Amino acid sequence: MAGAAAVEPRDQFGLGWRPELAAGILAHLDRIDLIEVIADDYFDAAGHDLRALRTLAAQVGMVLHGVSLGLASTAPVASRRLDRIARLIQATGAEGWSEHLAFVRAGGVEIGHLAAPPRSEASIEGACRNIDCAARIVGCVPLVENIATLVAPPVSHLDEAEWIERIVRGAGVNLLLDLHNLYANAVNFGDDPHTLLRRLPLDRVASVHLSGGHWIDGPNGARRLLDDHVHDVPAEAFALLRELGRLAPQPLTVIIERDGRYPPIARLLDQLDTARAALAAGREAAA
Amino acid sequence: MSSPALEEFLARLYTDEPALAEFLQMPTETARAAGLGDAEVSALAGADHIGLVMAAASFRVKRQRRKIRHWPWHWWRG
Repeated sequence: MAGAAAVEPRDQFGLGWRPELAAGILAHLDRIDLIEVIADDYFDAAGHDLRALRTLAAQVGMVLHGVSLGLASTAPVASRRLDRIARLIQATGAEGWSEHLAFVRAGGVEIGHLAAPPRSEASIEGACRNIDCAARIVGCVPLVENIATLVAPPVSHLDEAEWIERIVRGAGVNLLLDLHNLYANAVNFGDDPHTLLRRLPLDRVASVHLSGGHWIDGPNGARRLLDDHVHDVPAEAFALLRELGRLAPQPLTVIIERDGRYPPIARLLDQLDTARAALAAGREAAA
Repeated sequence: MSSPALEEFLARLYTDEPALAEFLQMPTETARAAGLGDAEVSALAGADHIGLVMAAASFRVKRQRRKIRHWPWHWWRG
């Protein structure tokens, strides 16, 4: 008896699941391989909402994305927060989960956003400990995501690429590489985005985020690029995706994130097609 | 370098406008008063002050949106 044919891993393309986009996503599942659900939106969800997500997960690939654990803190992540991720994965049948390399609280102070910790030995050790604990409690290893920051993280003695590589290799995890975050950090702090990309552990990239942002004014005439998720993905991010496709041969999951000023679904699907074309062009250039 | 105390100090700069203003005027004294070590105090004196102001303002907007409108968590990031 012949065994089942092995499924060849392939690149996948999807959208962040938002209630405002739900109808459009459901009407175009033929053009979307997977959706990414913000885990924190569903920690307190009613049973019928979780059953709806489970039904959705049976139709299209689904992954969970956490935003409030603070994995890259020197303080331990509370196990009750990890328990909630574990329960949500079990309830929805999600294929996996991810979180940010950020700290979000300290000493009882809630920052209310993803903050870049000092890039130091201590935060590397803290992140590796937290990721190990998360994997044990949740039951599967998260992907970890690079964040955008408007401030050069104070009291850092490693640069972003070194810091990320040390955590990814030290914790034995794969990277969810947000290319707009990479781009924003590069232009805000005088780096070349493509050089920064090449210095990351590209063999560990499993997934990619694409989003947009806008320039904001600061003191003394300063301008910085804010990653806001309410603008279209810029050409520079697609160029980075093409380069990533050239340099990283492994299958990648690419997700476009949009958190507001929602355009017609057709525009997001067009951006997904642009992402497909960019990654394919990179693959072709490497062949 | 880098410690829970340092993270707490940074969290206060990002969430407490008077604390940030005091730090920007007297970074060394403020950091020392928070009990940080010499190396951290020295590094903070040369920190990216423009970025601190911009990041704190951005975080403040996110917190206000959540408080006023009960935004779902995905608004936490954008």
